[in-house]
Amino acid sequence: MKLSPANYAAIALTVAGAIVMSALNWSGRPVSVATVGSMLVVGVTLGSIYAVSASGLVVVYTTTGVFNFAQGAMGMYWAFVYWELRFNRNWPAPIAIGLVVLVMAPLGGVVLDRLVMRRLRGTPLVLQLMVTVGLMLGFMGLAATQWKGDRGRNAQPFFGRSGGFELLGVNVTWHRFTTICVAVLLAVLLRLLLHRSRIGVAMRAVVDSRSLTSLTGANPEIISGLAWALGSSLAAVAGILIAPESGLVVELLTLVVVDAFAAAAVGRLQSLPLTFLGAMVLGIGQQFMRSFLDFPGGFSNADRALPTILLFVVVLALPQAKLHVRGTASAASARIRRVTPLSDAALGGLALIVVVVSWSGGLVPFVDEWTGTGVNRGVTMMITAIIMLSLVPLTGWAGQVNFAPLAFAGFGAVMFLKVAGDSGQAWGLLMAALLTAPVGALMALPAVRLQGLYLALASMAFARGFELLFFTQSSVIDSGAGERIASLHFAGWQLDGRGRGYLIFLTVVFAAGVVGLIALKRSRYGRRWMAIHDSEAAAATLGISLVETKVIVFGISAAIAGFGGALFGIQQATLNPSQFTLLLGLPIVLLLVVGGVAYPAAALFGGVNTILFIVIKERLGWSWLSALEILGPGLMAVAMVVNTRGAVTDMGRAFSPLLPWRQDAREQLRLGHASSREDEIGELGLDRPFTRDHVNDLDKHLGIVDLIPATPSAESRGGL
Amino acid sequence: MALLEATGVTVRFGGLTALDDAGISVEAGQVTGMIGPNGAGKTTFFNVMTGLQDTTAGRVFLDGRDITRLSVHRRARRGIARTFQRIEVFGQLSVLDNVLVAAEMRRRWDRSGPPPHEEARACLERVGIAEIADLSVAALPTGSARLVELARTLATRPRVLLLDEPSSGLNGRETQAMADLLRDLTEDGLAVLLVEHDMSFVMGLCHRINVLSFGEMIASGTPTEVRSDPSVQSAYLGSDHGAVQ
Repeated sequence: MKLSPANYAAIALTVAGAIVMSALNWSGRPVSVATVGSMLVVGVTLGSIYAVSASGLVVVYTTTGVFNFAQGAMGMYWAFVYWELRFNRNWPAPIAIGLVVLVMAPLGGVVLDRLVMRRLRGTPLVLQLMVTVGLMLGFMGLAATQWKGDRGRNAQPFFGRSGGFELLGVNVTWHRFTTICVAVLLAVLLRLLLHRSRIGVAMRAVVDSRSLTSLTGANPEIISGLAWALGSSLAAVAGILIAPESGLVVELLTLVVVDAFAAAAVGRLQSLPLTFLGAMVLGIGQQFMRSFLDFPGGFSNADRALPTILLFVVVLALPQAKLHVRGTASAASARIRRVTPLSDAALGGLALIVVVVSWSGGLVPFVDEWTGTGVNRGVTMMITAIIMLSLVPLTGWAGQVNFAPLAFAGFGAVMFLKVAGDSGQAWGLLMAALLTAPVGALMALPAVRLQGLYLALASMAFARGFELLFFTQSSVIDSGAGERIASLHFAGWQLDGRGRGYLIFLTVVFAAGVVGLIALKRSRYGRRWMAIHDSEAAAATLGISLVETKVIVFGISAAIAGFGGALFGIQQATLNPSQFTLLLGLPIVLLLVVGGVAYPAAALFGGVNTILFIVIKERLGWSWLSALEILGPGLMAVAMVVNTRGAVTDMGRAFSPLLPWRQDAREQLRLGHASSREDEIGELGLDRPFTRDHVNDLDKHLGIVDLIPATPSAESRGGL
Repeated sequence: MALLEATGVTVRFGGLTALDDAGISVEAGQVTGMIGPNGAGKTTFFNVMTGLQDTTAGRVFLDGRDITRLSVHRRARRGIARTFQRIEVFGQLSVLDNVLVAAEMRRRWDRSGPPPHEEARACLERVGIAEIADLSVAALPTGSARLVELARTLATRPRVLLLDEPSSGLNGRETQAMADLLRDLTEDGLAVLLVEHDMSFVMGLCHRINVLSFGEMIASGTPTEVRSDPSVQSAYLGSDHGAVQ
């Protein structure tokens, strides 16, 4: 492979950084054949597991074009199934492994392909990302429901904990030996499969052109099913191998996927040999850090953060994405484009405020039993909705995927704590927003170079990096010191973070935020954001600077999230690093997208659903709902393969014709009915006379209604 | 001196040479045509001039100033505008907003003229689609969408207009209107460079024509000269396409 100067620079910088880091944190433990040897054994074992997991990612991605964010979660799930069979029901290991790896996992993969993945073909990337991330949460929720966290589980290594053989004075356990052998075997088999077998060549061809591949006699449907079966099996192998090393913990095993992402990114998501290389570098690097380096307090997670850092570096060192000239797909029928007027947004905001004021005041009868915790729930809902609002301009309008809204929110909360934590002065909120904006702009730098999937990966690495290296610093959040954030002082009021006054304040803030965002959407900034979303190439040829535009939208998004985070800090009163993890941020992103990421109203939908899941779970108390807060958003996101529009779009379509001033919505509805009569048009003129009205209907249907002068008959028909 | 000039442009994709030492010069107040068989490298050439494609070798000059290293948006700000072969409109926006984006952006480097809204309306009127201003652009037929793209480029007040197959998707009447419009624009001093397959359109409109074949500029001259050039005839007739379309 040819490396560009940027690649060399990245490699040189990484190596230099690694050396400096090692020198600064050297533990002074003895370096001998024994210590280095045992580091290598463990490192290569880890690397082997990453390699197996990452190769599953690569196989599925190169064959189906779908990047499977759920790869780690699938491995986690199959590891739990294996544990259930092997240790809970005491089946013999070969049968349990054979059943999971060769039967259940492939079957699961095929089912996923049939039910979900096939429908993703040709859909926008954002949808593909959300559906596989939804799947990831779905698997996590499923595992947490089936295997409750109330008891310890142990997956024993193969051939017991002790035993093994001596190699150069280092003990290699049979489990580790097996792991390494499995990885080598799979590497050889995959290479043979993809490059030497007919089906493998077809698998690689199908992603380039489905239609051409099917012309050669291969069946793309079967091939994509096979790829998912294989990917799922590889996930299972990785999961079963790593569970004894890391423990059977849902989150831990799921996040192996981030390590696999880094390895796969080294291979540019395509090359298996480079992926294996990346996995080895990672495994050995991590073990080197554990064996020979000591990191001071806040950086104690540095070894776990290594994959994240590698992912970030690799993604940034990738060659700059060319501006794609792709052509604009045309929609089905012409319609007047309506941009929500500010008056509508303001009206909706007022309605929301009225509802919240009367609800929290106990005026609505059947919910008053929730007051107390109910009001606190409302506070959580509004804060979630405000953080979700941050993604509306960024992802909804400018098309920039961001899985790190909670990292921004956490940053904002920390800033509020530092600036106005003692006093709770309201100007601290604005300061928090302002201080978070540059962090967003920082995130925009990769966004300038990256598009779509790589940006999503970079944002994930960003969120994980913040989680492991930033919030853990005692100078950032000092969990031990018991720093408390005071209640909010605003215009002479003192608003307790869990009280009704705070809830009403938040509602007003949210409503103002919606109106402000709609105003932004209608401004030149909004237009520019939508322009770079639709065609970066065309936008650039009009003189639009992509760097500047992305920096602005990321900055604004981060500011909103930081503001929301500060509000969250006031509600929580104390901060701790576990409040702002990557995994907690994912449901926020998913629920917003389920609502319809381009609409501020979707943020309210998302906020309502966030607490709805918790309320349902608590009120019903059924054990199979015990992980509903992750299972729910996950399944809703997966269900988007059926309805890609977003929930609030449908709600809007259903309700807006009822509003007296929405003549246009009624007209749209009528047009919709007209186009659903499409079938009837087929024999028109043969069995019935072809009248002027039919011409008008056809014109409307074809979307040329506004190009031709209205005929008298069209005018005489009037409204409905 | 030519307004827009490119010399020795070479672009290689791995082993494939898409453009080989190709050059062109585009004069203000003229319509310059670029023709060539499919795959000759016409769109790649456009991408080189607008900065969407890096070159292996070669230089691009605007007004005698070297702009080879300038980014896409900086070239646009100096007056290079283009349309795309496969239409690149902003599908989320209305027809008017598509043009408005450009008009608003242009005020960054040139604050003269009417406010953006008026300017955008004027551009729509100039290409004759003012009556569909409020329609969603994603749903337009190809011909109208092409006109939106054209109106959008006009809103940047370009000095050079690069049009990639402006007449494709247009009917006979619309094609005629397009030709008239381009003539009008060049009379205002604009330089137009267009890639086109419709030979009668090219021959009737262009002052000069350049012929690109397999990445090389094989001929250049007036329509009459080009038509009778033997290498042009062999480039077209030698292929499987048969005759000049």
